[in-house]
Amino acid sequence: MVSVAFINPLSDEGEIIVRELGDFGRVLSDNDDLMQIVTGSRSQEISNDSFIPRNYVDLAIKRIEWFVKKKNDRNFDNNQYDFLFNTEILKFDVIAFYLLCQAVGVKYGPNSRESRVMVESQGKLIEYRLEKLSKNVREELVTNILNSLISSTHIKWTFFEDLISSKKLKLQDLILDQGEIILDKEDFLERFSHKIHGRKPEKMYEALIGDRIKELVMIKMVMQNTENYILKVGEKSDREIEPNPILLELADKISDVLAASVRSYGIGGSYSGSVKASALNPKAFPPCVKKVMEGMKSGGRNDAIIMFLTPFISYARLYPSVFSENITKQISDIDPSLSIVENEVLPLIFGAAERCTPPLFEDQPQDKVNLNAKLGFGMHQKPDLKNEGETIWYTPMSCEKVKIHLPSLCKPDENCKKIGNPLSYYNMMIWKVRKEAKTESTTDNNE
Amino acid sequence: MVKIEYLTPASPEERKKYYREEWDIKQIPDFIAHSIQEREFGFDHVGRGPNDRYKVFRNTDLLKRFLKVRTPFAAYCSVAYYDKPRRRDKWTKAELVFDVDAKDIPIRTCECEGVCEICLNEAREIVCGIIDTLKQDLGLKNIHIVYSGRGYHVRVLDDDVTQVNSDVRSQIVKYIVGAEVPENEYSLDYEKVSYEHFVIPFGYPNVFTERVKYSILHLNEHSNLDEVNKKLLKDVLKYRPLIEDNNWGMFKNKIGPLRYKKVVNGIASMNMSLVDAKVSIDLKRILRLPSSLHSMVSMKCTEVKNIETFDPFKEAVPKFVYERK
Repeated sequence: MVSVAFINPLSDEGEIIVRELGDFGRVLSDNDDLMQIVTGSRSQEISNDSFIPRNYVDLAIKRIEWFVKKKNDRNFDNNQYDFLFNTEILKFDVIAFYLLCQAVGVKYGPNSRESRVMVESQGKLIEYRLEKLSKNVREELVTNILNSLISSTHIKWTFFEDLISSKKLKLQDLILDQGEIILDKEDFLERFSHKIHGRKPEKMYEALIGDRIKELVMIKMVMQNTENYILKVGEKSDREIEPNPILLELADKISDVLAASVRSYGIGGSYSGSVKASALNPKAFPPCVKKVMEGMKSGGRNDAIIMFLTPFISYARLYPSVFSENITKQISDIDPSLSIVENEVLPLIFGAAERCTPPLFEDQPQDKVNLNAKLGFGMHQKPDLKNEGETIWYTPMSCEKVKIHLPSLCKPDENCKKIGNPLSYYNMMIWKVRKEAKTESTTDNNE
Repeated sequence: MVKIEYLTPASPEERKKYYREEWDIKQIPDFIAHSIQEREFGFDHVGRGPNDRYKVFRNTDLLKRFLKVRTPFAAYCSVAYYDKPRRRDKWTKAELVFDVDAKDIPIRTCECEGVCEICLNEAREIVCGIIDTLKQDLGLKNIHIVYSGRGYHVRVLDDDVTQVNSDVRSQIVKYIVGAEVPENEYSLDYEKVSYEHFVIPFGYPNVFTERVKYSILHLNEHSNLDEVNKKLLKDVLKYRPLIEDNNWGMFKNKIGPLRYKKVVNGIASMNMSLVDAKVSIDLKRILRLPSSLHSMVSMKCTEVKNIETFDPFKEAVPKFVYERK
């Protein structure tokens, strides 16, 4: 039987394994048992020493490396990481999990890119581990874990408030009735059989809920608990003076893996890491921005120009990698004389405002002050360095927020499916344009 | 019943008459009166928006005195509860609100400029659908409906939702309005099965079906749906009687599966505008105070006891309107 801790390291079994570790210093020592399990894994690639983790910290890094490469590297070879799916690695894997959470928690906290990657990697690892199990074992394991995570058979949807809030689960994914989430087959049949016509209720249950939703809920709950654990570690480390240097070193290594992925693949899918500030290319704007650039009708004008377009244009021009770098900056950090703001950013925004019906600043001149405030220059008519910092330089709205605040703007095209923020769309398109240009110039040279 | 054209802005004298002769503090719903000390109040005295904010009343008598003396253009009250409402400090919870404004609903069979009997009735129908889903799917019970003067506020006070954050509220909105097309292909062990939303009589697919049905039955030849051209719109209108009889399979066949997909995609993207989502996710919003006067249209903001039978032109018209010459 596969241990619950192989899927949920935060389970009681997982905690017992951690308590049994003993001396923390051991995590850096070469571990023959670990290397033996790794090299003995069925399809493990052993042609290169670097494929084999030598100790707990190495294993922790391999976990992150697996996730980043699997997501981004077209030539990814799973056999280099086959040991991650060998159930014999359990005890080492659980310790590696805790090391990662603690390293990320003490150094970067729960809202960091490192934390997001850690949580997502745990989710993906669970998915692939479950896939490798037989149907019966998988079902039993999922049921056991769910039973330990959810005590009642009647689960209110609000029980998953954290998962819904963090968008790990969508309400639409779940079958809700009278405020309860329906997971159990008998419960489903009792509630809905009489309503279903012309189809077999049992089959409908298997399709709509069945193992799929149970697994989804279980995986997302483990991910949420991982995030909560990182948060707890972060809060605890704020109170303690000196974090363990091994954890700090591991945290740096995690960051190195992510930085290497940015260099090689242009950041985990968001492309923004590879995009540097440069002249704007309106052809790469997402459909929502193009729509505002054409001018808005009365009603949505203010929000579209001030709340939506101003942050987008300013960040796309000056700081397109804001989300991947995750460092707060002021405009003058990038444009010390504000000449780019005056010559490139403002003319585009003012042009779009002018094209509104009626032109925005004609009947609402006070909105110039609001625009200035969104750039971080306080409640004044024009950007001036002496006022910088009086307000915050607003970051671009996410697609989610656009749908809420300006639903008429969101007319997604094919490329929108891959992104969650109009700025990521722009970066992705710029990246593609440059890549194509590079390919073309290489072809030209070869000719 | 009063005609809409008589509902012109109220004069300062009419406001005075309303608050001093007709308005009664007892018309303020209990769900507000009982928590008056924890809420922020705001007022608009001249018709330029609620800029007299952060007002607090220790009891209903003090609010009564204020309204009778100041006879404001508009009165508002927070959906949020605070320990220190005067500074909007120590937020404790907020009602979950859905704001359905008749002039902003995306499909209106009327072509009026502002609001009229027809679109107000359509707003009422949308509210009925929202309430059904709140009860049936989310299990919420403490629901109050307020006629705002130009539409409706659905105000939910169940403990389950009053402390949830904006992200959860945003997901609730999407579920309630049917903002996403449900999946229609599901994997079983050895096969894929297809269930269109309309064959699933429960959960989100059923909510979506109800919203699509409402929209299709209210479309007209001037309606504008993303990716739906005039020809397709014409076919939808031609075959929509099938949907009235819930004959969805036949309707889809007549339209064609790919074109059907375009129609439901267009409706899903439009559904986000059924309510003003900004209001729903705002944890510190102020809403028009039930019982107060909507001076712009001379109607009473009124708690609705029975939404099925409510008629604003009978139940929300102040007496002074009948006295107008």
